[in-house]
Amino acid sequence: MTFSLLLTFGFLFGIGLGFFIQRAGLCFAHGLGEIFIGKPKRIIRMTLLIFIISALGFYLSSFVSPELGLKPIGELRGFGFYNLLSGMIFGAGIILNGGCILGTLRQLGEGNLLFLIVLLSFIPGMALVVFILNPLLNHSYHVQNIILPGLINIDPGYIIFPSVLGAMVWYTLLSLKRN
Amino acid sequence: MLKQLFNKSMIMIILFSTLNIIMYFSIKKFWIGGSSFLPMIGNFGPNNAFLFAFLVNMGVIVGAFGGAMMSKEFNLKIPRPKDIPKAIIGGVLIGIGITLAPGTCTTSFVIGFPMLSISSFISGAGIFIGGYIVYLVIIKKNLTK
Repeated sequence: MTFSLLLTFGFLFGIGLGFFIQRAGLCFAHGLGEIFIGKPKRIIRMTLLIFIISALGFYLSSFVSPELGLKPIGELRGFGFYNLLSGMIFGAGIILNGGCILGTLRQLGEGNLLFLIVLLSFIPGMALVVFILNPLLNHSYHVQNIILPGLINIDPGYIIFPSVLGAMVWYTLLSLKRN
Repeated sequence: MLKQLFNKSMIMIILFSTLNIIMYFSIKKFWIGGSSFLPMIGNFGPNNAFLFAFLVNMGVIVGAFGGAMMSKEFNLKIPRPKDIPKAIIGGVLIGIGITLAPGTCTTSFVIGFPMLSISSFISGAGIFIGGYIVYLVIIKKNLTK
């Protein structure tokens, strides 16, 4: 597949993903807010559904092609210290402006131009890290790419199936408790 | 009972996740959040991977626009001047967060947890802690005023 064709497919998939996100009203910043004010059911149900479908899909993909399957996302930097720190900074940012990455894109698509300012404000933050902090910190980064089954050295299926089953039970209990 | 289990929002979440899986099976790529914006500072990633992710997310905006138009939820909102500083500070913090450790953002919830990625579990904990601090210090304070 040529790269331009890949970009075209990516854009089309993006349109589908954006449509469903808009219709679902998904935003993890709002979801965290709901958790903090004591109304966590909606976002937990959404996160559980995403987990159930995606975990099964990603796991089963490894049987279709060895290129697919479970992969570490991003990098584990400084034995997780930088991940925790960056998570905290990111969490502070999304609660402050009321939109995670998907939420920002969704609300921009819905016509809220405040999120265009949010999106453009990523630029100085990213530039600060990429051009100033990263060159300074690079030597202190101990980088690992690891998934949980690799850490405890077992077949991913032993973690995926029980956790998906647990998520299904939790989802059902939450949904039935709702009304 | 089926209605209690799957309302309209949950069905849309099922369709979103399924489409993401179809994307993975068909073109061997999945949705990513944070790193997709690196092309805005001239970093296109290995094999233009971030450029691809950027295009996907431009599609997400178009898709959200389509969904909003179809459901008559589209509403052009001009930002109020008093909201702009908060948006800029929040945006800069997000920009720092997504680059200080790659894979830290919404990607953790959508891709990282199902992939059982250790970095995503740690990032997820960080997102919760950072969000809660801001909620306690700024949001809750304003709500109780």
